[in-house]
Amino acid sequence: MLFTGFLQWLHDTSFSVLLRESNWGEPIIESIHVLTLTLFLGFAFLLDLRLLGVCLRRRRMSEVIGQLNPWLGAGFAVMIATGVLLFIADPVAFYGDTFFRVKMLLLALAIVNIVVFNRTVGRNVAAWDANLQTPAGAKVAAILSLVLWVAIIAAGRAIAYTLPPP
Amino acid sequence: MDARKMLLPFCQWADNSWFGHGVRNSTWLFPFVEIFHLLALGVLGGTVLLVDLRLLGWRFQRDSVSELAADVQPWKIGSLVVMLVSGFFLFSSESVKMYGSSAFRIKMSFLLLAILFSFTVHRKVEMSCDPQASPFVGKCVALVSLLLWAGVGIAGRAIGIT
Repeated sequence: MLFTGFLQWLHDTSFSVLLRESNWGEPIIESIHVLTLTLFLGFAFLLDLRLLGVCLRRRRMSEVIGQLNPWLGAGFAVMIATGVLLFIADPVAFYGDTFFRVKMLLLALAIVNIVVFNRTVGRNVAAWDANLQTPAGAKVAAILSLVLWVAIIAAGRAIAYTLPPP
Repeated sequence: MDARKMLLPFCQWADNSWFGHGVRNSTWLFPFVEIFHLLALGVLGGTVLLVDLRLLGWRFQRDSVSELAADVQPWKIGSLVVMLVSGFFLFSSESVKMYGSSAFRIKMSFLLLAILFSFTVHRKVEMSCDPQASPFVGKCVALVSLLLWAGVGIAGRAIGIT
């Protein structure tokens, strides 16, 4: 197996050993990962709630997207970077964890949802910018996003309980 | 009676209550409640950040602070309630242990200050801010708010580690 061989190699790299064996490395990285939820999940939820027309209704859709997107992007980058570091610290165990696999699958679906939204109903935001009633496509994207992020959090939390100690 | 002397009996009561036992003796109840705690963390953090970034003049510069704050207020209150309720159930499963945890004590102190500040000074400033401006006092209030809530979050994370 090429991939499991790669994970084993990654596990044996000095960087992985350093992350795994340091006392403060993992707790600090994990804390950043969890606390960035305020920025990433919080703003993603606010955007979804605006797409559903239940929050920030008096703001134009394009303004909400424009104002939140840079910070959402930054939050996402921090989530991915810290997530990758946590994975590198114990790659074989993570890969073997069912909840980790579920989380990665859901994450891929959430990204697909964003791409589809941006290429379809998100493209002509100007057309429904100030409408109190948002298009059905926007609502579908928002509900999918909310469900997927909730499931991603749940799966992520479950990893901490199922991952074998290093 | 000294209020501090009531803390230990309160922790013992929570520890011995049916919900304390329930969460402690179940394998999945603690992580299940934790998920709600985390989801509410996201929403509460998002609403706090949104208004404070506006007060700092970094986001939504063209919008009035009071309107923006009013828009997110129900979600802020709702997520705070979910945080407090889920947090209380998590606490009850190990409340006597939490009584002795300095990280937990620090978190509760920050939480008390953050809530008090949020509903007094912060609320007054966000409701009275000039629509387009980002005055110095608003920036100071936003900074204090962010520091207090960050204190809650960081000390909270420390409970799980120490």
